[in-house]
Amino acid sequence: MSDGARFDELIHPATRLSVVALLAAADWADFAFIRDRLGLSDSALSKQLATLEEAGYVAIERPVSERRRRVRARLTPLGRERFTAHVAALQDIIAAPSG
Amino acid sequence: MNYPTEAEARLALESVRQGRQQVVDEIGMPWWYWWGLAAAWIVLGLLANFDVPWWVVTIATVAVGAVHATVSRRVFAGRQRTGDVRVRGDVAAERGMLLVIGFLLVLVGVTIAVALGLSADGAGHPSIWASCFAAVLVVLGGPRMMLAIRNDAARRVIEE
Repeated sequence: MSDGARFDELIHPATRLSVVALLAAADWADFAFIRDRLGLSDSALSKQLATLEEAGYVAIERPVSERRRRVRARLTPLGRERFTAHVAALQDIIAAPSG
Repeated sequence: MNYPTEAEARLALESVRQGRQQVVDEIGMPWWYWWGLAAAWIVLGLLANFDVPWWVVTIATVAVGAVHATVSRRVFAGRQRTGDVRVRGDVAAERGMLLVIGFLLVLVGVTIAVALGLSADGAGHPSIWASCFAAVLVVLGGPRMMLAIRNDAARRVIEE
C-alpha cells in the first residue's frame, strides 16, 4: 500500500462508508439530512452513528435552534484521517496490477 | 484482514462518490439573492437614465456593490442553502466565489456595451433597457452558474 493508505474495516461496510463520505464533504450535517439523502431508517442511521462515535470517528452535537432540538453529526479529525487513508487504500487496490 | 477485491473496491469508491455528491448538491445561493441583484441592477439603470445628480448615482452604485459583496460572501461562505448541512470550504472552493464575482464583472461590461450600442442606435432610455437585459441575465444565468460550480465541485471530489 502507498504512503498514507490504510484499509479500515470499521469504515468499510457500505452504509457506514456512505455516511462517512457524506460527512467528509461537510463541516456538519443534520441527522435528518443524512437519513433522507442516504435513504436510511432512523434506527439504521442511529446504529451507524453510534458505532462511529464509539470509535471516535464522529462527534454528535445536539444544538437547540428555533426551539427545535436537532442532532448534528460531524467527522472528527481522527475520522477524517482514517477516511482519507481508507479511500487511498481502495484506490491502491484498483491501481494494483491484477493477477 | 480480508481486503476487498478490485470489483468490491470500485463499488466502495462509488459509494464514497455518491455520499459526497449528496453534499455537493447543496452548494448554491438562495433564489432571493438573484432576484435581489436583478432588482438592484434595474434601479441603477433607472437612476442613470433620469436626471439624477452624478453623485447620487455614484453613491447608489457603490452601495449596491458593497451590499452585494457582503451578502454574496456571507451567503456563499455560509454554504448553507437549506440549513441542514454546511459544505466544507475546500469542497465549495474559493473558485466558486471567484466565478460569482467574475460573472458580475461580465454583467457590468455587458450592461455598458448594450447601453452604448442602444444609445448609438438612437434608442430611448438606453440605460434602462441595458439594465433590464442584464437583470434577465442575472435571473437566468445565476442559477445556471451555480450548477456549473456544483459540477466543478463534484468533478474535483471524484478526481481526489
